[in-house]
Amino acid sequence: MAKWGMVFDLRRCIGCNACAVACKQENSLPDGVFFTKTLSEEVGEFPQVTRTYVPTICNHCEDAPCERVCPTGATYARPDGIVMVDRDKCIGCGTCIVACPYDQRTRLEPEMLRQGLFGGGRLTPFEEQGLTRFTVGTVVKCTFCHERVDAGLQPACVATCPTEARIFGDLDDPASRPRQLIQERRGRQPLPEKNTNPRVFYID
Amino acid sequence: MIASNGRIADGGFRVGVGLQKAWGLHMATAFFFGEAGAGLYFVSQFFDFLLGMGVGLLMVLFGKAGGHLLHLGQPLRGWRALTKVRTSWVSRGLAAIVVFVAAGALHVVDVDADVLPAAASQLVAAVALLSCFVIMVYQGFAMSHSSAITLWSGGLMPIASLTYALLNGVLLTLVLGFDAPFLADHPDTVRLLQVAAVALMLYGLVTVLSLLHGARHGSEAGRQSVSLLLHGGFARWFVPLVLLLGFVVSALTMLVAPPDFAWMLAVAGLELTGYYAFRVLMFKAGSYDPAISFAYRFRH
Repeated sequence: MAKWGMVFDLRRCIGCNACAVACKQENSLPDGVFFTKTLSEEVGEFPQVTRTYVPTICNHCEDAPCERVCPTGATYARPDGIVMVDRDKCIGCGTCIVACPYDQRTRLEPEMLRQGLFGGGRLTPFEEQGLTRFTVGTVVKCTFCHERVDAGLQPACVATCPTEARIFGDLDDPASRPRQLIQERRGRQPLPEKNTNPRVFYID
Repeated sequence: MIASNGRIADGGFRVGVGLQKAWGLHMATAFFFGEAGAGLYFVSQFFDFLLGMGVGLLMVLFGKAGGHLLHLGQPLRGWRALTKVRTSWVSRGLAAIVVFVAAGALHVVDVDADVLPAAASQLVAAVALLSCFVIMVYQGFAMSHSSAITLWSGGLMPIASLTYALLNGVLLTLVLGFDAPFLADHPDTVRLLQVAAVALMLYGLVTVLSLLHGARHGSEAGRQSVSLLLHGGFARWFVPLVLLLGFVVSALTMLVAPPDFAWMLAVAGLELTGYYAFRVLMFKAGSYDPAISFAYRFRH
């Protein structure tokens, strides 16, 4: 069984946020909800100042604190490591949100599902069909586009990235590209001190 | 000039510390009533003080459970939270509330009408007291368990919960039971409870300061949280309400107060105001570390 994971190549990321747009489109995400974001930061000291870009996403942690603290079992990990939320079990207590060190979960508030992205307070036909996959008051997060992955495709953000800064694959396969990149370029996990063992790595 | 993070990103597309917004006023109110009600019941049961036990039960049943129901996104599915007692402190807390309300109510009826045989009566009292104790501490564990938020995860949160719960219990017992025989006829008991309250206030103050100290040196987010509480936007509430009114002024007032109902009421009011502010501000100032940042490397 594959163990899916992702590598972010920080040298390649140009901060275009095409990944965030593709994700919103693929998952019909409501207003104010993002499963992935590319953050920016200015670092350095004048005159040597530069801007860096940091893509973020659910890290599908091996020891996921969100799964551990969930009081209903709504958050669970699939055998391939993808951490999911069962919307029929979620009670919207938010415990998983405060337990996730990466702030990658969102509770769907009623106004998010009422107002469309295009103003006027009305939903487009695309939004109407897309929002049926959500339940108000429950928590949502990135699923590595599990339907695409199950069909043998890459997650939407990976397929869209114009610079191939996002590399997705089986971390258990020594021949897979993400695994090789992690080994060759000493990939590091976000906030390793939180002991969650993320399946997302950064290389620079 | 150094360009660095260390700023509050607050949901934007910037690297920085993010404030948590998942737990807010409803949860703070639920936590407030949970620790105040359970503390009142806990202290009252030692004196078989029926009014205190009854009010404590009602505070937990309506205040705490009501606050949680208002907070939930799907309140009708709330019963599902009982299903993961092995791993989740929220599940454990809900189980404790259910057991406490049942056993506590039975114990109140038993104390009032003597309906149970001696052995069963003792068992019910013990179960009520044990579940009450769990409610007094579990909220601290639920917060402390979240390693994501440095302000909460230092390990002192359960101690703060227990201290506040006992303090609330002692003060509310002094107010509600002021004219009851167990206090009115025993001035030594009143004095003992007053000394206990002052000791708990001092202990609570040191616990809260230690909690801030630990968070301040724990991580960037912890430093930002403490800065918000002591110097930033929340300082105008945290310092005067939580630290001064909640501990210092109420302890000094209790030390000099004559054994008078109005004074007891004033001290309880001051302390409970500080405690509610503590609960609200702990949620508001809780923050996440940036997942990854390069500013630190540049700076050092």
